[in-house]
Amino acid sequence: MAAIAAERYTGANIKRSEDPRILTGAGRYVDDIKLPGMLHAAFVRSPLAHALVLSIDVSAARALPGVVAVLTGAELEEITVPGPDALMALIGGEGPTPEFTLLATDKVRFAGDPVALVIAESRYVAEDGCELVEVEYEDLPPVTHASFALDPSSPPLFANLGDNIARPHTRSEFGDVSATFADADRVMDFRISVHRHQNVPMEGRGCVASYDTGPGVMTVHAATQSVHVTKIAVAMRLGMEQDKVRVVAGDIGGSFGLKIGASREELAVAAASRALGRPVKWVEDRGENLTASGQAREESFDVRAAVSNDGDLLGLDVKMIIDTGAYPGLGVTVPAIVEEMLPGPYKLAALGFESTAVITNKATYVAYRGPWASETFLRERILDVIAKDLGLDPLEIRLRNVAPRTDPPAVMITGRPLPGVTTRESLERIAQLVDFPAFRRRQAEARERGRYLGIGMATFIEAAPGPRSPEGPSGPLGIESMRLRLEEDGIVALFTGQMPHGQSHQTTLAQIAADEFGVPFEQVRVVVGDTDVVPFGLTGGSRSATMTGGVALHGARQLKAKVLDFASHLMEASVRDLQITDGRVWVRGDPASAIGVGEVARRAASGQFGSGVDASLEVEAAFDGGEGGWSGGSHCAIVEVDVETGIVTVERYVVAEDCGALINPAIVEGQIRGGIAQGIGAVLLERSAYDEDGNCQSATFMDYLVPTACDIPRIEIEHLETVALDADVNFRGVGEGGMIVAPPTVVNAIEDALSPFGVRIYEQHLPPARILELIAAMSAD
Amino acid sequence: MADITLRVNGAACTGSPEARKTLADFLRDDLNLTGTHLGCEHGVCGACTVIVDGRAVRSCLMLAVQAAGSEVTTIEGLAPDGGLGTVQQAMWDSHSFQCGFCTPGMVMQAVAFLGDHPDADERQIREALSGNICRCTGYQSIIDGVLLAAERSASPDPAAPPNASPDPAPPNREH
Repeated sequence: MAAIAAERYTGANIKRSEDPRILTGAGRYVDDIKLPGMLHAAFVRSPLAHALVLSIDVSAARALPGVVAVLTGAELEEITVPGPDALMALIGGEGPTPEFTLLATDKVRFAGDPVALVIAESRYVAEDGCELVEVEYEDLPPVTHASFALDPSSPPLFANLGDNIARPHTRSEFGDVSATFADADRVMDFRISVHRHQNVPMEGRGCVASYDTGPGVMTVHAATQSVHVTKIAVAMRLGMEQDKVRVVAGDIGGSFGLKIGASREELAVAAASRALGRPVKWVEDRGENLTASGQAREESFDVRAAVSNDGDLLGLDVKMIIDTGAYPGLGVTVPAIVEEMLPGPYKLAALGFESTAVITNKATYVAYRGPWASETFLRERILDVIAKDLGLDPLEIRLRNVAPRTDPPAVMITGRPLPGVTTRESLERIAQLVDFPAFRRRQAEARERGRYLGIGMATFIEAAPGPRSPEGPSGPLGIESMRLRLEEDGIVALFTGQMPHGQSHQTTLAQIAADEFGVPFEQVRVVVGDTDVVPFGLTGGSRSATMTGGVALHGARQLKAKVLDFASHLMEASVRDLQITDGRVWVRGDPASAIGVGEVARRAASGQFGSGVDASLEVEAAFDGGEGGWSGGSHCAIVEVDVETGIVTVERYVVAEDCGALINPAIVEGQIRGGIAQGIGAVLLERSAYDEDGNCQSATFMDYLVPTACDIPRIEIEHLETVALDADVNFRGVGEGGMIVAPPTVVNAIEDALSPFGVRIYEQHLPPARILELIAAMSAD
Repeated sequence: MADITLRVNGAACTGSPEARKTLADFLRDDLNLTGTHLGCEHGVCGACTVIVDGRAVRSCLMLAVQAAGSEVTTIEGLAPDGGLGTVQQAMWDSHSFQCGFCTPGMVMQAVAFLGDHPDADERQIREALSGNICRCTGYQSIIDGVLLAAERSASPDPAAPPNASPDPAPPNREH
């Protein structure tokens, strides 16, 4: 016992405990589940964007050997409970609610809308069965553009709404908008658009639903960001008591916002399992994923900016239209977040914001990594345009407008305070790292040789979890819970409602708890993915670093206090004199007294202590986010545009990031790089495309292009010294920032590269053909 | 149905897959080797990459019956002793992955490529892995893992972690 380790795991690049199984093929994803008697599901999907369903003939499919059942939309309605989308019911969507059936019944609303479910002995036979289902449709005019959806003459997708408005027009004003615009030196107008693109986790949606008819218990093996939200959705739709539904999950192959709760298909599969009394598996194929799982963004903004001749951004007036697709869900909640976040880290004094959410014949809007990110895109885009018009440089205009770090902190005009925000520092740091003057010289030389280099910067903040507010917890979704227990083998078990799908919680939470409790990292076990044993929780919104990191820290502290209290009886020493290090409890100054924490737990379980001694070495911990805070940072890209081919190459990408105290730098950097890759993909490659008839044009990986190893440069990351706001918990979320700020960073760089042509860019998707169009349009003038 | 015999991860096995069954489904469903993942089933994403007769192939684009008589190595067969091969160990050390779904295909592609190109530089490695999609990482950590594996293979370090075993040379390279 001479050497008691004092090193800290928190802050170190501890190798992930997830990796040995993942690297050897021993990960357990939902498609790896095999249950006795398990059947396989496949969906018949609409080939049309908008049509009446006149008839469905399933007789040939039912007659196919190996097909066990075919369920139509109408039949599923008979065995389920009608209701709104469970997630929307949970987070309280206001306004009219469209009718919501698991499968289309009288009408199909996007190409890919499921109309029937075939259940068979194998997926191959289930798909054979789908081929035999005959559906007779009558075409309706497709509503494929938001502009048409806004037209009262467009055919309503949902009869009970009467129009195609998912959330009606609203307007708010912060500050004195009219006076700000009246007094401004100049008012500039922009129309900014963001295209439809999507999550594309490498593993699509899927589940295995297994209903046990005896006890009437439904077990769903899910790929989800929250086993509890999935459980609530299943219980609601199937009309079951919640305690009769158990949702479990193993490894999950990415999500990025897609797998929250349970989709219509997953609920249909659960209903089918109950009807048949057998386990049913459904795992979507890539075609289903790209056409029917959901898509994100597709927003447009009419922006008026009040600007001083010195480059002060005084006010914004923004009209937002969001295209929420065919079965509106989370999309209707996005404009409110965009509105709140629009000022960003800047001292914007006036904001007018109006929005309308529309319904179209496209796949449903789903959350995708920073769902409100368009606010950063439009703000960081127009700042560059304003700077160009005023002859300022992009760093100068940002530094001029950024809110000062004061005490008490500056407050966004929309209401949230900005404590500890280091935007100025991160902007100045990337400018140093990149050396703008040197780049400008190189750029000028390159142009003389007919090569077009450009540099772009952008900055963001993210409420991860957000500053503490007087009204309540700083974290979105309120408090975070965790149960912690010292096991008799000395393992400290953490039961968390987080459902990691790449975030490495099994490593990071163990680092924090190991340090706080005083055991080796390997002696902490993070238990996830079973509604029977983990508390409520959800992985998303970049909230887990603070919320779950915080509850792991405080929970480990509480458990340690409990263990020490018990050990004081066991060791006949004062709690004050006891400490736990390296998995052993010992009397300070007397290493020979040390006993392993497992031995302490075994003695506690022995029952030899009377009722006066609390021998339960388990705690229920909760954390409200403490002082919370913002994540943020500034990014800079250097690109080259080949003006002959339109191909953009990202040559260099530099990040100065402040996400508070780092739990595991390698994991933080992985989150940042992954988000940036998705942002680069969104600009240069990815688009969920529809033709005029509403046919999805991006149904394969040959049409929906995601970045490869050749498209993404090395990304240089520097972590800034952070401002500690909380006494203990200063870890802040880093999941979404890369995806939020990379698109404006790259677009700003492209516009800079094309500045000799006078190109101005007001859109986000810039594949080669579009680059050539932009150049040609200016050359033609 | 056709009876086929092949060797998978060094062991002889037989099966009777339907003619239309892909090698990927045969490995996953019939042999319970679920380490091979399906990410697109149209040959683009590379998650299902396995090594057949020394060459990296997309097991979603190959029928099981086409593998009759072949030697197939899957992610489960890289380090049969339960440890990690050189590439796997280097990827662990490099924090290469996040969700892990692309991992088996990425590892198999890297093992096959390094087997043929032990001196590959970063650009060559990026090109070699450009048919394997990862949605989580931005690739840098994966590329770093492959570079580290190449470096370790070139100059075996006696202090390397004890559970890192050399990756098996893909057999029957001459196909």
